Amino acid sequence: MAILECRDLSKRFGSVQALDTVSLKIEPGRVVGLLGPNGSGKTTLLKLANGLLTPTGGEILIGGEAPGSATHAAVSYLPDKPYLAEWMKVRQLLDFFSDFYADFDRDKATEMLLRLNIDENMRIKEMSKGTREKAQLILVMSRRAMLYLLDEPIGGVDPATRDYILDTIIRNYNPEAAVVISTHLIADVEQVLDDVIFINQGKIVLQSSVDAIREEHGMSVDQYFREVFRC
Amino acid sequence: MLGKLMKHEFRATARIMLPVMGAMAALALLANLSIRGLAGNLSDVPMLKILFTLIIIFFGAAVVATVVMSLVIMVSRFYRNLLKDEGYLMFTLPVSVHELIWSKLIVSLVWFLATGLLIFLVMALMALNLSHTNLEMILKQLPSWSEIIGWLDQAGVRGQVITFLVQIVLGTLTGIIAACLHFYAAMALGHMFSKDKVLLSIVFFVGISFAFNLMEMGYGVVGFGLSDLENLDMSSGREGLAFVSNVIWHGIGLSAVQAAVLYLAAFLGLKKGLNLE
Repeated sequence: MAILECRDLSKRFGSVQALDTVSLKIEPGRVVGLLGPNGSGKTTLLKLANGLLTPTGGEILIGGEAPGSATHAAVSYLPDKPYLAEWMKVRQLLDFFSDFYADFDRDKATEMLLRLNIDENMRIKEMSKGTREKAQLILVMSRRAMLYLLDEPIGGVDPATRDYILDTIIRNYNPEAAVVISTHLIADVEQVLDDVIFINQGKIVLQSSVDAIREEHGMSVDQYFREVFRC
Repeated sequence: MLGKLMKHEFRATARIMLPVMGAMAALALLANLSIRGLAGNLSDVPMLKILFTLIIIFFGAAVVATVVMSLVIMVSRFYRNLLKDEGYLMFTLPVSVHELIWSKLIVSLVWFLATGLLIFLVMALMALNLSHTNLEMILKQLPSWSEIIGWLDQAGVRGQVITFLVQIVLGTLTGIIAACLHFYAAMALGHMFSKDKVLLSIVFFVGISFAFNLMEMGYGVVGFGLSDLENLDMSSGREGLAFVSNVIWHGIGLSAVQAAVLYLAAFLGLKKGLNLE
């Protein structure tokens, strides 16, 4: 069964059609790049998968269920913005995640925090933008979830940290799980992707494996993306 | 999961509420000691007079600040924790929307009750002449429960007084819960829209107040029959008390109905119309 499935999924904000009858399936064990220009509907799709928005048409299913408290237990989500309470210390956040997520591996989180020199007594508001993003990603990737939805996980960090983050994603995810990485920094993530979904103006333009793109078009995903979305 | 949500809600709110309440208690103690210590010399030393006045003003300000803070915390926790960026975490937890609302509601209720109790205690503290012997004397003079019950029986009002106490407890609880839910419902409904969310929340707040006022007036005149008041034999104290008691029961019932409507509005706003930016 697909871990994430959209059937004619639509979302409209006033006069703006953010998603237009999107249908797709994501199978377990795949690392999928959700790729598209700014404003193409990537974030909207991930928010719908988390029940943070309500569809205006169609449906979205996680393991066959509509988003709700049961699917939240199986989905680990990294939003594209700082979402942790600023007054909280890292240690308090570890308590929080341990309390609510049965699949949270605290030892793993502690180890990664040590590796990136993030003090557990540090408050979120005391951190730089990059450190915040690292702390958020560590919390999200320390879960043994069935589906990871990562919205721009490498947007605001330096290249060295970017490598560490991608390495963290690949090393830490459960092989039975699926990972969806939404980004427009394709060259950086291409190496870790199995499949890609191109999205533009709320519509799916392409869903394919990375190997198929390389074989059929003789170019990298980044090059092919530039070709498809040429301005 | 409700227990865990409440634990973290207490953690988030106690870091502000406890220092504020502590400051109020400390100022009450200071004010009490200053009043006793300075009262005798007030007319002689102008500086002491100013100091005395300042302490009393600070104490009054601390009482007001504690009440305002409970209110601000109640509103801001719902707004910031659920409807702004922190909502991304809270609404992706494996908990239900009911649990999210109840955790906020129960914790706010506890802080309001604690604030009320503390204000009562510090007021009592202000009135007391604090010293070991005085306290002992006061405690000795306090009547026992059996004495109080005896007096009530003698006056033949034991039943009424117990009913009245139950009404105070129920009225306070439903009143606080309905007030919190009034804010929650207005914010949840206002944030269903894509634009002007805060402005719309205020509009919903005022609209709900207006609708409820109409409902209360209508209920008072038509449903409850205020015309009964004309036929009331005011010369009979017992009949008057029964009438007042009846009015209070209806008030509590109305407040409970309003709370239920507001809860439903808050729930549906968050469940069906969540629109995090």
